[in-house]
Amino acid sequence: MRITPQHQSAVTQAARSLLVLVAALALLLTLTSPAPAVALDIEKTTARPNQQDGNNVIGGQPTRVTWEARVGADEQISELTLTLPAGSSLAEGASVQATVLDGLKRLETPQQAEIRTGEVRIRFENPVPSHMLLRVEIHDIALPAADGDYSLGGSYVTTEGASIPLPDSPAISVISLTTVKAITLWLDEQPWVEAWNSVMFLKIFFNPQFIVAAVPNLFIGWLRSLGLVLVGFPLAIPIGLGVSFLRMARLRIVRFVASIYVNVIRGTPLFLQIYIAFFGLPLLHISIDSYLLGILVLAMNSSAYLAEIFRAGIQSIHKGQFEASASLGMNAVQTMFSVIIPQTVRRVIPTATSEFILLYKDTSLLAAVGVMEQMMFAKSMVASTGNMTPYIVAAAYYLVVTLPLTKIITSFERRLAEAEGQSVPPKPRRKRRASVTDALGGQVKSE
Amino acid sequence: MKRPSLAVVRIQQLHKYFGSVEVLKGVDLEVDRGEVVVILGPSGSGKSTLLRCINLLEKPTGGEIWFEDTRITDPKTNINKVREHVGMVFQSFNLFPHISAKKNVMLAQRKVLKRTKEEAERIAVEQLTKVGLGDRIDYMPAQLSGGQQQRVAIARALAMDPHVMLFDEATSALDPELVRGVLDVMRELARGGMTMIVVTHEMGFAREVADRAVFMDGGIIVEQGSPEEVFDHPQHERTRDFLGHIA
Repeated sequence: MRITPQHQSAVTQAARSLLVLVAALALLLTLTSPAPAVALDIEKTTARPNQQDGNNVIGGQPTRVTWEARVGADEQISELTLTLPAGSSLAEGASVQATVLDGLKRLETPQQAEIRTGEVRIRFENPVPSHMLLRVEIHDIALPAADGDYSLGGSYVTTEGASIPLPDSPAISVISLTTVKAITLWLDEQPWVEAWNSVMFLKIFFNPQFIVAAVPNLFIGWLRSLGLVLVGFPLAIPIGLGVSFLRMARLRIVRFVASIYVNVIRGTPLFLQIYIAFFGLPLLHISIDSYLLGILVLAMNSSAYLAEIFRAGIQSIHKGQFEASASLGMNAVQTMFSVIIPQTVRRVIPTATSEFILLYKDTSLLAAVGVMEQMMFAKSMVASTGNMTPYIVAAAYYLVVTLPLTKIITSFERRLAEAEGQSVPPKPRRKRRASVTDALGGQVKSE
Repeated sequence: MKRPSLAVVRIQQLHKYFGSVEVLKGVDLEVDRGEVVVILGPSGSGKSTLLRCINLLEKPTGGEIWFEDTRITDPKTNINKVREHVGMVFQSFNLFPHISAKKNVMLAQRKVLKRTKEEAERIAVEQLTKVGLGDRIDYMPAQLSGGQQQRVAIARALAMDPHVMLFDEATSALDPELVRGVLDVMRELARGGMTMIVVTHEMGFAREVADRAVFMDGGIIVEQGSPEEVFDHPQHERTRDFLGHIA
C-alpha cells in the first residue's frame, strides 16, 4: 500500500486521532521495550565538508550530510521526513538522495525527493523493507554558521500509515567560519598553492594552509613559553646572586655547599632534572601545578648558571675598586651594592642574556612532561594533521624572540666597551653611530 | 702608651711579610699634624706597602700603628671608622667607572658620612672646582683624561674631610704633560696645611713641598730629614746611589 498526500487528505479526523494514539503507543513501546528492534534505528549521521582537506565541518559552508538508519523488524517505510537544524540553509544545487542497501547490495529505490529550507521529504515508490539500511545523502546543505552540535530530527510513515517521530540523530559538530578558516578555504582554491603543495618537501614543511592555521594556534603556546621564562628567569636572578655570594664566602664549608649546588645542576641535563621533579614529587605526595613546577625547575637550573656568571662578573672587577671603596670607609655591603654590583650588572648583561635565550629554548623540554607550552601546541597540531609545518611555525616563534635578543647583546657589548673606554673592535659593514665619547673626542685629551 | 700630642700617624716596629718575604723589617715613623712627609726609594723598597698599612689595606704582620688616639692594629678597632679620616689616592686612580665625576665624589659622603644629597652635592661641586674640574662634574670617568681622573680621585678623598692624605705614586701612571696639573693640586693642598704622606718619584716636587724626606730601601728607613739634608747631603751610600741614579 502506498500512502500519498491524496490518501492522507482523505483520512478522517477520527482516523487521525487514532494515528496519534498508535504513534504514542509505539513511542511508549520504544521507551519501555529493551529491544527496540521493531522501530527504525538511526545508525549514524555524518557530515563532510565539500572541500577535500580538513576534518572540521564549518558552519555556513556547503557540506554533505549523510544520515543512515536501519529499518525496524516489523515495519516498512513509505515516507521519511528529516528536519534540518534551525539556521541551516541550502546552497545552490542542493539535492537529496536516498539509497537502500541490503547488506552490500544496493536496491532500486524509485523515490520522490523534496528538499526545502528546514526540511527534507522523501516518498518511496516501493516501501523500504524491514532490516534494510536506509541512507539519505543531502548534498550542498549549509549547516548553521555558529559553533555547536546539531542533530537531524523528523518522522517517518510506515505502510500501516503510522507516522512515527524520529529520535534525534547523533550530533554533528559544527565550527564557525573564522578568518583563519576563510583564508585557508581561499588558499585551497588558489592555483599557486596547489602548485606549491605539489612539491612534496614544501607541502610537508611549508604548507601554506597549515602555516595560516598554525600561526594563531601556536600564538597561545608562544605566550605560555614566554610566560615560563619571563617568570622563571627573574626568579633565578636573586637565587643565582645569592649562590654566587656563597661561592665567594669566607667559610670553606659554605663555599663547598654552594659549589655542590652549582656543579650538580650544571653537570646534569635539565631534561633529567625535569623528570626527577615531575615524577619524584608526586611520589612524595607533593602536588604542584605543572606550569608552576616547570617555572621552579627552570629557575633552579638557571640560577646555577647565573651564579657562575655573577661570580665571574664580580671577580672581574678590578681589585682597585674594592680598595678605593675601603679607603673611603665603605663597608663590604655598601661596596658590594653601590660599587661592585652596578659594574657587574653591566658586564654580565650580555652573558646573562645568552643564558635567558638558552632558558627560553629549554622551556620546550617541559613538553615531555605535559606542560602546555609552544612545543606542546606544535606537537599536538602535528599529531592531528601529520604535517610538519606547525614545527616550522614554532621554530619561527622561537626565533622571533631569540634573534632580536642576540642582536641586542651585540650592541650592548659595544656600548659597554665604549662607555668604559675600552678599545672598540671595528664594527663590520655598519657605520658606527656617533656616541657621547665621539662628540667629546676633542676635549678628552686636553688638560 | 702615651702618644705625642701632635702626631697624626705613629708607626712602631712595623713588620710585613708577603708569604715568606719580609717587605717591611721594622719601620718607625711619626707624622705630625700639618706635616708633609715624602717617602722615596727604589721600587720594592716597601714604601707603598708602608703607606697601605696605614689604612690597613695591607694587614701588618707585626708592630703597631696609631692613628690619632686609635691603635688601628688592634683587632677590635672598627677600621672603616678610621678610614673615613684617612684619604688615599692611588696610582691607578680607581674612580668608580659607572658613575659621573660628581657622583664619585658624592658616594662615600652619602653612604659613610650620611650627608644629605644636597650637602654631598654642594661639597662635591666645591671640591671638584677646587681641583680645577668645575666644568667636568657630570663627565663619566672614561670621558676624562688620566690627569683629570686623578684630580677627581683627590676631590673624592678630600670630600670626606680627611685628617691625613696618603698619596701612592699618584702621578706615576700619567703621561708627562698631565703630571703637572696633579702636582699643582697636591702643592696647593700642602700649602693649605693638610697632613700628607706622599710616595713619589717626582724629586723636584718632593724637594719643594716636603717638610721631611724619608728614604727607604730593603724594607727599612735608611735615613730621613729635611729635604736639604736628604737630597743635598745624604749620609748613606744607598741614598747617594739612589739619588745619583735618578739624577
